[in-house]
Amino acid sequence: MEKTLMKQTKALLTDLFLGCYTVFIAKKVVFDLMLRGERHLNYELTESLWILASGALLGVLLFALNATSPGRAIQGIRKPMVKSRAKSPLTWVIVTMLTLTFVAGLRISQVSMQEFLSQKGFQGVMRIFNQMLHPNFGILEMTMQAALETIFMALMATLFAIPFAFVLSFFSARNLMIQHRVLRIVYYASRFVLNMTRSIEPLIWAIVFSVWVGIGPFAGMLALMLHSIASLAKLYSEQIENIDDGPMEAMVATGASPVQVVWFGVVPQITLPFLSFTIYRWDINVRMATVIGLVGGGGLGTLLMQYQGLAKWSEVGLIVIVIAIIVWVMDYASAKIREAIK
Amino acid sequence: MLSIKDLHKTYPGGVYALRGVTLDIKKGAFFVIIGLSGSGKSTLLRCINRIHEPSSGQILYNGTDITHLQGKAIRQVRSRMGMIFQHFNLVPRRSVMTNVLTGALARTGTIRSLSGQFSSEDRDKAMENIRIMGLDGKESHRIEQLSGGQKQRVAIARALMQDPELLLADEPVASLDPATSTSVMTYLEKVNKELGVTVLCNLHFLSLVRQFGTEVMALKDGHDVFHGLPDEIDEAWFKKIYGDDAVEVTIK
Repeated sequence: MEKTLMKQTKALLTDLFLGCYTVFIAKKVVFDLMLRGERHLNYELTESLWILASGALLGVLLFALNATSPGRAIQGIRKPMVKSRAKSPLTWVIVTMLTLTFVAGLRISQVSMQEFLSQKGFQGVMRIFNQMLHPNFGILEMTMQAALETIFMALMATLFAIPFAFVLSFFSARNLMIQHRVLRIVYYASRFVLNMTRSIEPLIWAIVFSVWVGIGPFAGMLALMLHSIASLAKLYSEQIENIDDGPMEAMVATGASPVQVVWFGVVPQITLPFLSFTIYRWDINVRMATVIGLVGGGGLGTLLMQYQGLAKWSEVGLIVIVIAIIVWVMDYASAKIREAIK
Repeated sequence: MLSIKDLHKTYPGGVYALRGVTLDIKKGAFFVIIGLSGSGKSTLLRCINRIHEPSSGQILYNGTDITHLQGKAIRQVRSRMGMIFQHFNLVPRRSVMTNVLTGALARTGTIRSLSGQFSSEDRDKAMENIRIMGLDGKESHRIEQLSGGQKQRVAIARALMQDPELLLADEPVASLDPATSTSVMTYLEKVNKELGVTVLCNLHFLSLVRQFGTEVMALKDGHDVFHGLPDEIDEAWFKKIYGDDAVEVTIK
């Protein structure tokens, strides 16, 4: 009984949200911006209240009519239609909402065929491409130096991340931690910290660390390391959660201590997948290191940023070619190694 | 040496596995438990070495109540009870030798065992147990290179490292072919008769029960419905334990 009430509430809230969303999009974006040609979204209190009120009304209507309620459909409590021939009213509701969203999306992201096909823009691109295809090999030595920085930055980030991720992964593995109350708290805490760390892009971390330790490869390495710890710990712990419990059970049965149980019952099953994930992570880190360089993480990215700022496209061309080669080689090598150790 | 009184086990979620099992095992017995899948055989074995916690009842091992022991105390008890499993539960990607040595974990310090430094007595003993199980020359083979029967013999050798007084065997031959089953059972008999280890074994095939068992108990829906000698299980009892539609299958 309580469960149905809960589902009904959730369904109603979903419908209310969708109702307000639909009215907002229809009035502010489609009507004001596109039909009346206003330049900006202007917010006024009375109008906002009107939108909210009519949106809520629409939501309640959708909910009350039952067959039209997306919320009920999501919660699985929509009464089945008796007449099955006719298109369900829900389909019309959803199609309308999607169409409005698509049309509004075109306007908001300022999609413009005119600009895309303009002669002037096209010439500009051709000019840049032309210069990029005639790379300036005069800066090859400097570029290789930067490439070395990028690759080693990624390598060190991966290496430093391994021990942290290894330990954290055991704390974040459900099957090992869920039995005892204290361990469960550690599990949730560790999961929370990892999720938070992972949800912040390495680009942001790079900005933070370039303020902390100064612009350069060290800042980039720290940013990559932090992100690698969080990602690897997640991948590692999922691997631990998927192991065969048998060997663990057998180790418990011999009277082994908990640490021995993990070492002999769990670790042999995860070493190869861990190695494979780690190599893949290095591969990802090399690619990310380039991007991180753009905000001051050193290496190829920083170099690329400098020449791009000076509009020296021949130099940019060389750097882009070097990046492409490195990414391709890393991708190929890491795939081969991972295949070999399977 | 082992007596169990009115043992109950309810899993979280309310599944009843055992509903009052009582049994008495004498030293040197080859005690067999039979019953359908899901009748509680595996749970009973795991309650004895407390891999699973019994919900109520009492387990007396050599006169000591081990039902509520915790931490080091229960690990001490486990270290003298060997256990083998239907799916062998060996450590993958490790050698036969390493696997057998894991039977000595309880008496090896944590740091020493993590770096693989088992005592030379334990190494000698492991070689001896590998020999007893007819696996000479296979010490350095990886587990993946062995056949099912060989794997189970490695598991028995591992259990022997514990100098067990009692060996718990949870359907040791259920994933083996008939010929290999008899061979593995013969090794278990050897452990029982020549090394004097009491064996408590879950089995499916009545022919194996008659051939190897000295005492038998039947479980049905978590109740112990039969206690007696293997020969006493006749057609009527068979139907009672396994249901009216069951037909006995023999294994030679």
